Amino acid sequence: MALLFRFLQVLSLLLLAGAVAAEHTSNWAVLVSTSRFWFNYRHLANVLSLYRTVKRLGIPDSQIILMLPDDMACNPRNAFPGTVYSNADRAVDLYGDNIEVDYRGYEVTVENFIRLLTDRLDEDVPRSKRLGSDAGSNVLVYMTGHGGDQFLKFQDAEEIGAWDLADAFGQMWEKKRYHELLFMIDTCQANTMYTHFYSPNIVATGSSEIDQSSYSHHADNDVGVAVIDRWTYYVLEFLETQVTSATSKLTLGDLFDSYDESKIHSQPGVRWDLFPGGEQEGRLRTVVDFFGNVQNVEVENANATDPGSLKEDLAEIAQLVEKWRKRDEEYSAILGDSSKNHTADAPSSHSLHLAPKKTVGPTKMAEDNSWSKRLVGLSVVGACTAIWVAGSILGHSSV
Amino acid sequence: MSAAIRNLRNNPKLLFVRLPNFLSFLCIVVGVVWLLLLPLNDYSRKTYISENALLPGQVHAYFSGSEQNVFRGYKQELDGLLNEGRERGGQKDDAEVTSTVSGKVQSIFLAVGLKIATQKYEYTSAGITHQGENVYAIIHAPRGDATEAIVLVAPWKTADDELNLNGVTLALTLARYFKRWSLWSKDIIFLITPDSKSGTQAWIDAYHDMHPESVQPLPLKSGALQGALVIEYPFDHHFNTLHIVYDGVNGQLPNLDLFNTAVSIAGGQMGIGSNLQEMWEHKDSYEHRLQTIFRGMTKQGLGYATGAHSSFMPYHIDAITLQPKGHGWEDEMALGRTIESICRSLNNLLEHLHQSFFFYLLMQSNRFVSIGTYLPSAMLIAGNFTIMAIALWLRTGYYLENKPKAAAQPKDKKKSVEPTAQAKGNGVEERHLALPLTLVVGLHLLGLVPLWMFNTLFHQYFTMATYIFVVVDIVLPLLLAALLSNGLGPFAPIIPQQYLLIKSFSLLLLGLSLSTLATLNFSLSFMIGLLCAPLCFITRLRTSSAPLRCSVSGLGLVLLNLLSPPTVLLGVCWYTGVSVETVLTQAAFGWDVWGMWTQVVVWCVWWPAWLIGCVLLGSSMF
Repeated sequence: MALLFRFLQVLSLLLLAGAVAAEHTSNWAVLVSTSRFWFNYRHLANVLSLYRTVKRLGIPDSQIILMLPDDMACNPRNAFPGTVYSNADRAVDLYGDNIEVDYRGYEVTVENFIRLLTDRLDEDVPRSKRLGSDAGSNVLVYMTGHGGDQFLKFQDAEEIGAWDLADAFGQMWEKKRYHELLFMIDTCQANTMYTHFYSPNIVATGSSEIDQSSYSHHADNDVGVAVIDRWTYYVLEFLETQVTSATSKLTLGDLFDSYDESKIHSQPGVRWDLFPGGEQEGRLRTVVDFFGNVQNVEVENANATDPGSLKEDLAEIAQLVEKWRKRDEEYSAILGDSSKNHTADAPSSHSLHLAPKKTVGPTKMAEDNSWSKRLVGLSVVGACTAIWVAGSILGHSSV
Repeated sequence: MSAAIRNLRNNPKLLFVRLPNFLSFLCIVVGVVWLLLLPLNDYSRKTYISENALLPGQVHAYFSGSEQNVFRGYKQELDGLLNEGRERGGQKDDAEVTSTVSGKVQSIFLAVGLKIATQKYEYTSAGITHQGENVYAIIHAPRGDATEAIVLVAPWKTADDELNLNGVTLALTLARYFKRWSLWSKDIIFLITPDSKSGTQAWIDAYHDMHPESVQPLPLKSGALQGALVIEYPFDHHFNTLHIVYDGVNGQLPNLDLFNTAVSIAGGQMGIGSNLQEMWEHKDSYEHRLQTIFRGMTKQGLGYATGAHSSFMPYHIDAITLQPKGHGWEDEMALGRTIESICRSLNNLLEHLHQSFFFYLLMQSNRFVSIGTYLPSAMLIAGNFTIMAIALWLRTGYYLENKPKAAAQPKDKKKSVEPTAQAKGNGVEERHLALPLTLVVGLHLLGLVPLWMFNTLFHQYFTMATYIFVVVDIVLPLLLAALLSNGLGPFAPIIPQQYLLIKSFSLLLLGLSLSTLATLNFSLSFMIGLLCAPLCFITRLRTSSAPLRCSVSGLGLVLLNLLSPPTVLLGVCWYTGVSVETVLTQAAFGWDVWGMWTQVVVWCVWWPAWLIGCVLLGSSMF
């Protein structure tokens, strides 16, 4: 009975998944700090805090691209060598012992960033430096640094414009490199950076309006620099205190509603219009859809009729089931016959007839009626297949 | 409008004589008024830190507590040795810094674990020998790459020649304290010099291998110097304010960011007020602001070293001196913490200070004007000479001066006569350049004589030499005027046009030199420009009556002589109560040791221009 219940549960989940039309199968995160130099410590701390959060919520290092243009932990000015903190309480060492920086130092350039997004990389670039997302991936892109009206400075040497970024995302969409994309940016005049986005399925949010500065939150008087920016600080506060596990049901709406301008000291912005269903639909996305690691499975070619396809398999299974049923019936008939026929015979012959079968057959584990179990199993498999087929047909038609 | 232009064209007298005079005068007036406007809020700005990397006051300074005991210990040790020297040597109040004391300093550095080195030097200037031995120690940045360094200087004698015992002790204590930090990205050099005048100069010269032979090379060096702080604390009581001295040799200034950092750390983090230019009572009023600017300009104009930090400036190393002043409740630990915090800020630097201004006038510790705002003032004054020079040049070419009869008329009548004369002569005349050029160049070269004399004489003859020079300045112009008017040997007597040419060339040179100088040393250019302003308007008098001419020119000469370089020197010395000998000894020392260029400007720019003015005026007597 418990087994049945379990199956029902799985079925209902599958049904639900079918109902939620847009379903993703993997999560990727691209976390970028664009500024170097000791006094920009906070930008690296921002990114490392986000890195820690997405790891906490389950995205593995292999699916996080971390770009750090400078090494604060080993800067000679760092009073606490080998560490990076994003809070003056210094409770969590963000640099820790488990950190994978994929692009570091002068590798963090506009070119590399755009090549990474659009996967225009040489063949010899290792997997760790590639964004392996596909049409089923939800991608989180977080950027921080010094910016201005429609640009973000990279390393004091170059800058990425709002159009560059929009085109990169446009290309990603063309190349089916994301399913949904959450773009977050913490820099001065951040909201100008997503004004030109045009590809669908993007939710974008930034820390400040045009002509507004984004401010740092607080400084650590022993490290001697500001350790985190305000917007990132409050986003993190939400993520750390509210989104405590990968199963959190909090939505992006909750996250964006948590913005408090009096604390952030600038006006954060959100852009919904590229998202199918707009704000209403977008707000329903859970935070962990982007920050967590959801492992849905999508079955491809559900309706195909080629050899080896699901339909054929199902038909074959049904035939097999039918065959077994017939054999069983035959077998039981034979058994009945023999018992009828050989009632007069010595019981030894009966045991002799059954003995080889018993040695070969599986050991009986329980005293249940095996027939009823098989029946239940069969019916469940049948129902399951039926629902599966129905669900995938429904799912397919609505996509 | 067109009528006015036509009128101007037809009236060369107005175009070449009246208008330039008026324009020149206007330039001077505007230039001076411009300077007087600077202290107003509309023309000055609040200071701000432009270098992001500095992060002033963002770190806790931990220099306190037990470090104070270390300080007292070091101080007692040094004081004991100084007293011993005092008793043995039977010196005045000032303790001689003996080799025992120097040895003690070295042993303290060694005990802390620093590399030490010494450097002996000797300078001779105006017959006085300055010698001493620098001791310095280097903290190598534990995790840095030894390509950059910060210097902390503690001279045994402050800029005011007081014994800087607390300052030296503080430097030693800080050395011990800094050694324990692992966060230095730059090496820190502790330099203990015997005095504020020559010690740092010898050291910094040798650091860059630019030292004369009498100075030993440095056995131990570090990376490029990024900044220097000079610590002075010449008394035992507590203080209440920090006096920040920033003027460098030849009026060079440290980057404004360094000054701002010191002010912001002292005020914002430590709660210590800061003063500048010895303005102890600064009410932020217009008068006080202007007074601060003037004091700053005087120091800049004279171009002498105002402290041990000044020697760093020629090497483009930003440096300031911190002088605790007044009576209050801040102790040496507070000064130590301020220095610690400034050092942490300098340590944060990623490149040489370059963001903020190098040319500025400070009027309050948090208010300044930058070069763009104040430069027009000196440029206008320099420009007035150029305008006059060009006008004179045109006038000599197009304007018929050689109408002695017409020219002899009094000015009122001349107005009516000139246009007709002009029309007849067609206004073109050949210029006779040989004599004016020779004379102007020759007199400028003659300036090398006093320059050489005042830099090589022994100091005890300076006062006498100055008086002699005053007499020379009275006699020489008259002599030259007589020679020019009456002709000498192969030269025919001078013609009136040549007087104008002489004046033109002289003013042209003056204008060029001053406008160039204004970009380098605004204050010097402004001061010399003002002192030379009358030269623009004096010329050879052509009044017919000899007695009137003689008396007017005689009076003019007397007035001009009051503005001659040696008289101005005597007047200023009399006013400030400093002896002429001290000033000139200092100047000679500046020339020999600091590389000070003020004398060159005085003797090769100002004096020849003044002399030519006197000659022109004197020539009207003959």
